[in-house]
Amino acid sequence: MTVGTDPPGSLADDLAGLVGREHVRVDDGALTAYARDATPLYTARPHAVVLPGSTDEVAAVLRYATDRGVPVVPRGAGSNLCAATVPLSGGIVMALTRLNRVLEVSPAELLARVQTGVTTAALSDAAARQGLLYAPDPGSRTVSTVGGNVATCAGGLRGLKYGVTRNHVLGLEAVLPTGEVVRTGGRLWKDVAGYDLTRLLTGSEGTLAVITEVTVGLLPAPEETGTGVAYFDSLADASRAVAAVIASGVLPATLEFLDRKCVVAVEEFAGLGLRRDAGALLLFGDDGPTGAVAGTLARIGEVCADAGSPEVTLAEDVARSEALLAARRCSLPALSRLAPLTILEDATVPRHRLAEMVDRIDDIAARHDLMIATFGHAGDGNLHPTCVLDPDDGAAVERSHKAFAEIFAAAIELDGTITGEHGVGAAKLPYLADRIGNDQVALLRRIKRAFDPAGILNPGKLGS
Amino acid sequence: MTTDRPSHRSPREPVAPAAPRKPTPGSGRESGPTPGPTPGPASGPGLGVFDKDLLDRCISCGFCLPACPTYTLTGQEPSSPRGRITLMRALESGDLAPDDPTLAEESSFCLGCRACEPVCPAGVRYGALLEQWRDHQWRGRDRPLIARLLMALVSRPALLRLQGLVRRHARPGRRPGAGARAGTGAPQATRRDAPEAASSRPAEPVSLMLGCVERGLYPAVSRAVRTLRPEVDVPPGQGCCGALHAHNGDSAAGAELAHALGERLPGTIVTTAGGCAAHLAHHLGRGRVRELSEYLELTGHRPAGRVTVDGRPARVALQDSCHLRNGLGVTRPPREAIAAVAEYVELPNAGDCCGAAGTYSMLRPADSRAVLAPKLAAIEAADVDYVVAVNPGCLRQLRQGLRRGGSRVRALHLAELLALAAAGEAGGSGGAGKDRGEPEAPAD
Ligand SMILES: Cc1cc2nc3c(=O)[nH]c(=O)nc-3n(C[C@H](O)[C@H](O)[C@H](O)COP(=O)(O)OP(=O)(O)OC[C@H]3O[C@@H](n4cnc5c(N)ncnc54)[C@H](O)[C@@H]3O)c2cc1C
Ligand code: SF4
Ligand code: SF4
Repeated sequence: MTVGTDPPGSLADDLAGLVGREHVRVDDGALTAYARDATPLYTARPHAVVLPGSTDEVAAVLRYATDRGVPVVPRGAGSNLCAATVPLSGGIVMALTRLNRVLEVSPAELLARVQTGVTTAALSDAAARQGLLYAPDPGSRTVSTVGGNVATCAGGLRGLKYGVTRNHVLGLEAVLPTGEVVRTGGRLWKDVAGYDLTRLLTGSEGTLAVITEVTVGLLPAPEETGTGVAYFDSLADASRAVAAVIASGVLPATLEFLDRKCVVAVEEFAGLGLRRDAGALLLFGDDGPTGAVAGTLARIGEVCADAGSPEVTLAEDVARSEALLAARRCSLPALSRLAPLTILEDATVPRHRLAEMVDRIDDIAARHDLMIATFGHAGDGNLHPTCVLDPDDGAAVERSHKAFAEIFAAAIELDGTITGEHGVGAAKLPYLADRIGNDQVALLRRIKRAFDPAGILNPGKLGS
Repeated sequence: MTTDRPSHRSPREPVAPAAPRKPTPGSGRESGPTPGPTPGPASGPGLGVFDKDLLDRCISCGFCLPACPTYTLTGQEPSSPRGRITLMRALESGDLAPDDPTLAEESSFCLGCRACEPVCPAGVRYGALLEQWRDHQWRGRDRPLIARLLMALVSRPALLRLQGLVRRHARPGRRPGAGARAGTGAPQATRRDAPEAASSRPAEPVSLMLGCVERGLYPAVSRAVRTLRPEVDVPPGQGCCGALHAHNGDSAAGAELAHALGERLPGTIVTTAGGCAAHLAHHLGRGRVRELSEYLELTGHRPAGRVTVDGRPARVALQDSCHLRNGLGVTRPPREAIAAVAEYVELPNAGDCCGAAGTYSMLRPADSRAVLAPKLAAIEAADVDYVVAVNPGCLRQLRQGLRRGGSRVRALHLAELLALAAAGEAGGSGGAGKDRGEPEAPAD
């Protein structure tokens, strides 16, 4: 389905020669649609969009782009929140949605091999059908692609127990901007030959190579899962409960919190019967062998009650657990019901400083007269302060930029970081040196040059 | 703290873009797309095509992508709900010309199935946006010819009446018990059914709406309703509900027709068409409009009889009507009604659009068939005897698709299935075992 089949200019013709005309778009409409991702306020149009159908086609396009010095922005589902796929310098957006086959699931080796455009949920489902678990569980799982997850090193709701995407990637097939195809890592859990390029590419945000195939490690699916909810008077109280839970020696799979505004917004969408009057909510969950989960949940419930929770409830069945987790996953879009502009940020602090960070965010919001709701992966110290405001109120928008600058600075001051899972993208590039220092920024640039001598891959992002 | 640095983002000029390192090869096009930022979310006075607060709701999170059948077909952003909303914003703000070919293409490629609505946590009312978009895009001669013809046809009650004469329909104004004879092929009300219906005769009048498509193609459906629920009136002189107009770029006529029909049909309006139900409910209020399965449940009607095939309970699947499911959230009642008379089989993609989508199957037959294909495959794989629709357009689409594929599966409207079950019990003939043909055939 292509509109405007005869675009002027040889870029379109050249690309059509490489991937087929129906997989090249240069019409104004398509360029507009690919001018943004899930990040508000950033748009820039590419000159062309290509949708390659194979690794060879990816290589051909990249070789061509390197020869001509045309920027290329790899793109999965465009669900990132840091303007990572906005083509700031124009050029080509390379959408990888056609590479969407699950190539194999191997119960014997506990791994799966997928093309890059497979959604996270499709990978999880394919694993589950064989009684296996793909542990990373980003909130965007139904939309986001495995390639995008690897490129951003996505975290998720099960991060506390299972870590982030990085901890589950065994090997990659990737195409360098020069067109060389590299296979890093492989099918082994133990393999220490050479620099760990798999890890280097994981989190490289489309600036070093285009990932075309991913091999991930799987786990036996847990026999049981369970979820509970503890209400609190305030988010600060909930944060203290998080510290108490961890200190008590249990390590649940999930420990998420939402402040009151988030609870109300989520309830509005999902209608689960959550208490709208609570100041904050802690969603905890665990999985494991039959019989073990109930014990962990009960223990967490006790700790929460001791920490001041007036009400703790456990989900009666799996369906309800799933509903709770699904509701939590949509906190961001649900929040957007409050005002037309919703800016979500991502900062992480050491767990024991969570309550302090929550207080700081509250204070910053109050000083700038902004409505900032907060939710996040509390167990990981990963917060998503989210500002909801009116885009037509220019002064408020300005204040929100200042507020977020202060929030990042506060995170760094508390030994935290400017992003725990969403990545740097274009949105946080100005803050990167604050976190890692100028020397490391320079090193990043040298690495970038080694992979991408012509500097065509995702300019204006990491390594630029 | 570094609060004095230039803000990391600003609404108008997000990030100064680096110039392309070299001029893009060969894009010797004067007015070609230039790299660099375009304005952010539409603000200030726009074209006025869209309601600003409707358009502002979308935050481009992409949660709607996997639900969208056209995005599933292409994997391309412009044919996703999020992409289309981005296109609408560009139209509103003037970033895309009103005659942009992609705008035209995407407004027509969209099925209007609204599968993107229930999955949107932000509560974006995509269906309303699409109507506004088509109002703008499909004006006058820009409206597809077939849509124009159909709209002209159904706007004339006289022509609709003519259809009713040609195809024997439930007789307006009279009850089967009051001298009217239901079509010969239509099963009669069963003994068990009749007294119950009489006793639960509501105080409020109940009117059956004769859908435009249905009265032409499937008169057996309304006949079946009358045998199931004799208390339902069929007032004469019904017009069109206007859904067709609203979905084809004439919201004003759509609203007008809905209100006019609302005045002509007293009391609760029962429809056998999911699309009409959603459109009427939007304009007349949810309380006045009941889709058949909902009405049956609400009035405590327990479907009678069994549908059997070769002596065993028939295996029956449901095809949700998009507008019923996504617009009104009705999913359980039709399933329970089927389960009461047969072995209910859930298709894995029962909630996915079948591609009929009102006039879509006529306007874009190839795309329509592509959307239908996985559904047909699932129906075959499920090894069912019947697949039930709750909307005449879907019924037609399924029948054609199944016939084309040489399938042994038959498509029925829910009303027909229930009437078949009731007749099976009444007549003691062993149900549908022998005659698996489409029940309205003898009557026409
Ligand atoms: C509602 C919502 C909830 C979210 N929840 C979470 C969460 O819980 N945890 C989390 O970590 N993130 C979350 N995200 C952010 C986002 O979904 C993730 O960053 C996700 O990994 C992006 O995947 P994608 O396929 O959409 O990639 P894109 O957004 O398309 O791309 C992201 C980056 O990866 C690069 N890239 C994409 N594909 C490739 C490839 N094949 N090769 C090389 N580079 C590539 C792009 O160039 C870009 O830099 C959420 C987002 C939303 C909207
Ligand atoms: S329509 Fe809803 S689900 Fe889709 S991108 Fe917009 S906010 Fe997200
Ligand atoms: S109405 Fe249907 S086809 Fe149109 S955007 Fe929504 S989900 Fe896609």
